[in-house]
Amino acid sequence: MVEEPKVGVYVCHCGVNIAGVVNVKAVVEYASTLPNVVVAKDYPFMCSDPGQNLIIEDIKTKGLNRIVVASCSPRMHEPTFRKALERAGLNPYLLEMANIREHCSWVHEKQPQEATEKAKELVEAAVAKARMLKPIETVKMPVVKRALVIGGGIAGIRAALDIANSGFEVYLVEKRPSIGGNMARLDKTFPTLDCSQCILTPLMVEVAQHPNIKLLTYSEVQSIDGSVGNFTVKILKKPRYVNEDLCTGCGICEQKCPYTVPSEFNLGLGKRKVIYFEFPQAVPLKPVIDRDNCVYFKRGTCRACERFCPAKAIDFNQQPKEITINVGAIVLATGYGLYDVKTKMPEYRYGLSKNVITGLELERLTSATGPTKGAILRPSDNREPKNVAIILCVGSRDEKHLDYCCRVGCVAGIKHAYYIVSHIPDAKVTICYTDIRAFGKGYEDFYGRIRSLDNVQFIRGRPMEIFEDANGSLYFDVFDQNTNRLIRLNPDLVVLETGIVPDPSFEELAKVLKCSRGPDGFALELHPKLRPTETSVDGVFIAGVVQGPKDIPDTVAQAGAAASSAIALLARGEVESVPNVASVNQDLCSGCGVCEVVCPYTAIVLEARNGGRVAKVEATKCKGCGACAAACPSGAMTQLGFEDKQLIPQIEVLARGR
Amino acid sequence: MKMYLYLGCTTPAKQYAYELSLRAVFPRLGIELVDMPDSNCCGTPLMGVNRFYNVYAPARLMAIAEAGGLDIVAPCNGCHLALSEAAFMLRERRHLLEQVNSLLKEEGLKYTGKVKVYHPVEVLYGLVGVEKISSAISNKLPPLKFACHPGCHLVRPSHIGRPEKRDGKLKLEALTEAIGLQTRDHPEKYECCGAAMIPYSTDAAIKTVAMRIKRFVEGGFDGVTTLCPYCFDMIDGKQDAAKTITGDRSLSIPTFYYTQLLGLAMGISERELGLNLNMSPVGSVLEKLRR
Amino acid sequence: MQTYAQTNILDAVRKVIGDQRPEACYQCMKCTSGCPAAKVSDYRPHMMVILTKAGLAEEVMQSGIIWACSMCLKCKEYCPQDVAPFDVVTALKNVAISRGYKPPEMLVGMANNVLDYGYIIDKPMTITTTEFEEVSRDTLGLPKLAHPKDMEKFRRIASSFGYRRLS
Repeated sequence: MVEEPKVGVYVCHCGVNIAGVVNVKAVVEYASTLPNVVVAKDYPFMCSDPGQNLIIEDIKTKGLNRIVVASCSPRMHEPTFRKALERAGLNPYLLEMANIREHCSWVHEKQPQEATEKAKELVEAAVAKARMLKPIETVKMPVVKRALVIGGGIAGIRAALDIANSGFEVYLVEKRPSIGGNMARLDKTFPTLDCSQCILTPLMVEVAQHPNIKLLTYSEVQSIDGSVGNFTVKILKKPRYVNEDLCTGCGICEQKCPYTVPSEFNLGLGKRKVIYFEFPQAVPLKPVIDRDNCVYFKRGTCRACERFCPAKAIDFNQQPKEITINVGAIVLATGYGLYDVKTKMPEYRYGLSKNVITGLELERLTSATGPTKGAILRPSDNREPKNVAIILCVGSRDEKHLDYCCRVGCVAGIKHAYYIVSHIPDAKVTICYTDIRAFGKGYEDFYGRIRSLDNVQFIRGRPMEIFEDANGSLYFDVFDQNTNRLIRLNPDLVVLETGIVPDPSFEELAKVLKCSRGPDGFALELHPKLRPTETSVDGVFIAGVVQGPKDIPDTVAQAGAAASSAIALLARGEVESVPNVASVNQDLCSGCGVCEVVCPYTAIVLEARNGGRVAKVEATKCKGCGACAAACPSGAMTQLGFEDKQLIPQIEVLARGR
Repeated sequence: MKMYLYLGCTTPAKQYAYELSLRAVFPRLGIELVDMPDSNCCGTPLMGVNRFYNVYAPARLMAIAEAGGLDIVAPCNGCHLALSEAAFMLRERRHLLEQVNSLLKEEGLKYTGKVKVYHPVEVLYGLVGVEKISSAISNKLPPLKFACHPGCHLVRPSHIGRPEKRDGKLKLEALTEAIGLQTRDHPEKYECCGAAMIPYSTDAAIKTVAMRIKRFVEGGFDGVTTLCPYCFDMIDGKQDAAKTITGDRSLSIPTFYYTQLLGLAMGISERELGLNLNMSPVGSVLEKLRR
Repeated sequence: MQTYAQTNILDAVRKVIGDQRPEACYQCMKCTSGCPAAKVSDYRPHMMVILTKAGLAEEVMQSGIIWACSMCLKCKEYCPQDVAPFDVVTALKNVAISRGYKPPEMLVGMANNVLDYGYIIDKPMTITTTEFEEVSRDTLGLPKLAHPKDMEKFRRIASSFGYRRLS
């Protein structure tokens, strides 16, 4: 198609953002002198309706076939103007933008004359490229109408339910034997002091019974291939050594098992059997045999569970099962773990002194399903503590540990003070805080209630360390800024509100998904304010603490948001390929394979041709990053919209000088 | 192996027991101690007077050692810190390095950071080793219970790397066990002896070491051992003052330099180890060790 | 009425070599909670830092409380904002001296001894043993201590970076 380019140039004032520095009229005048420029206009707000209509009208009436918009960064309005071109009946990729705001008026505020000259150059360069632009057709690909949610905590549960309720099939994969996550470990939730299990288990049951949800527990994601709309996921279902179809959940096996080991669900406090249910409200209510500690697997003896099981559901020969599924969208909701205070902060004696525990461990003590059946007892001697110190900000807001605020520690600590005084009426609690952050709905009120109690004292000071004397009693000093006193405390139980970090499983998953992580290790959202659930990988959404510390209300809200993003994708039913895909001229390709190595999206394969091999681009997987085109030594690989013959004229204008 | 012995100020001027026991023990373990030809205060006690001196003076010492071609062993925690921290800062700040070298140039010296600085704990644990010590001793000591006091500057600031860590067993404890004694954990193990407070208020300093001694006594230890002249000066030398100032007559505990204990285990005489210079009541322990 | 006026102290503190960052402090009290000097005196490292940050440190330089620090470095080790109160206070001490405030008497002697002999103690001491013997470095046969070869040069170099005799 040899078509004479007819370029329209539109220079935006952007109010005073551009026009306040750049002489817009001069730029328009200059643009109109350039070859092939048929129309050159300016307008206060090009992105507005009338602004866009200006372009559309000119395309229709003046037969324009290339458009240059000189305005803000294409990251702001390239989609806007592309849509305008489409409405005018022009291929949307015949647009080139010149950034005369972020790259010009905003950075050269004090030099208006030079800025104007620069703007003229940028416009001329854009026109040079625009002349050489070719229409690009994108491909629409169907989306598999199924989603995957990784992580069965409250975030994953909420997201799975929302997606399932919209009519789409969801796989919910959880690595532990039961769903519920950390919320299942809590006794009560702040500020309402609702029983955590009571509000969680109905949702867990809903997940188990939902016709659209396929629950895969004790399973882990092994690999993820493909791209948005079409992911191929391999999941490994670990063997429970229990036939889930035959098992009735009666629990006789657990009763009869003679061996115990420390309970992970109870964070090491208390024991569980080797064949066990994670907790009484587990979903699914099926036991699992801990193979590493099972005497049958180690020595070939025992088999008590098998002998006593009325349903003959024990199957020692069960094998791990690999399940491959196809989904269109993925929601990552792997939750959190606690900061490793034991190794990183030995000065607090967590792990050295039995009566120094974490807030989460206190939750297990106060829970009716916990190791002490809800009694708050000191781990060392099982006696009730009368003098409890709760220390906030352990490892948080600390350049030497976690530099961010854990967000939930303050109100959790206040809740824990409530636990102590409500269980043990004659106990005294001291909360050592730095700043109380009680930001959520009802939090300030809750803080006020506890602050007003006589047996709870708030000390504004962060202790440096904890000591244990020769008799095993704990003591530490703290400076209370409120009363200006240096105080020595002798608590019989210390509760540390530690910092929180992404669950350890996220490390590997992030690599598998190619999901970016922020400097704090949490999953990186596309925009911290406006796009909190999307990631740099199209079709992968994040929800809950994997994206950053947050409380349950925010987690649930974000899970809904992630679900809605996933639903939108599935409901649309199709995705468009990226316009700026790589394109290979197989006649020039030498089959060196550099492009395949360099591609981060595994979108290039080498195929046999004429006795040798050549590269082939899978346009549906290509994200238009351009790495392969840059790396190709023979010039066989180009990128649509950034071909040499489009870029070189642009560079020549800029390199010319004035 | 040959090393320069950088004594600092306190050890050669009054903590003779430390120097005597070091000079007795090291050669017998294969470490020849060479006296520095030119030496000066490392600057640690004077950080508040002139912070820059505390970088220049260690650089000067290390440059002298480099000129002599040997590494340094610095028995005082404060000196070891001054040298280590100066080396760290000179590595990190190019401008500082240039500044310091232009001053050293006037004396024909140059600092390049080549010289390694050891503390006796590192020499004994790292270079000699616990196994060699166990086999080098002729009179394994009876398993008396000893508390090890590393001293602040052996542990902090950890980001530049220090000989001891606040976590798990101390190297000093491993060394103490290597000669037959028992060690036990005790609270406030990493706490301060108070020495640096003496110029400001002797009272405050004594009250501080009194707290340390109290913990040793409460822990039922037979003795305390350390490898820093300041800490020893406080723990060994200030027990009477501690009793007076606090009114607590129980503040009494035999205190030794580890090198003195090691020397005894190696069969060296009490005189050679300066054991007549310890001010704390070491007699009872020495009797048990003599058997 | 005090105003946040004397910020030249903050600038002076920043000029002293070290890792001090008084501006980063959020007054968590961790330093004072663990400080050995705070337990036996009125010394409060967190106050030293905030007063420096606010430009109000003249008072503590004058009172001499800044010299109570035991140099244990715990505040530096555990400060969550790498303020390093120890570095701030050490810098404050340097600034105090440069402004003519006298440090504790013992330090004056020690500082001057270094300029005269190279060490904080002018000569090795005579000690009494438990057997009431008087011993000293010489009587114990310990080798003579080396001094800086050229004390004049040593003093001159020290002077060039501001280390002068204290009176």
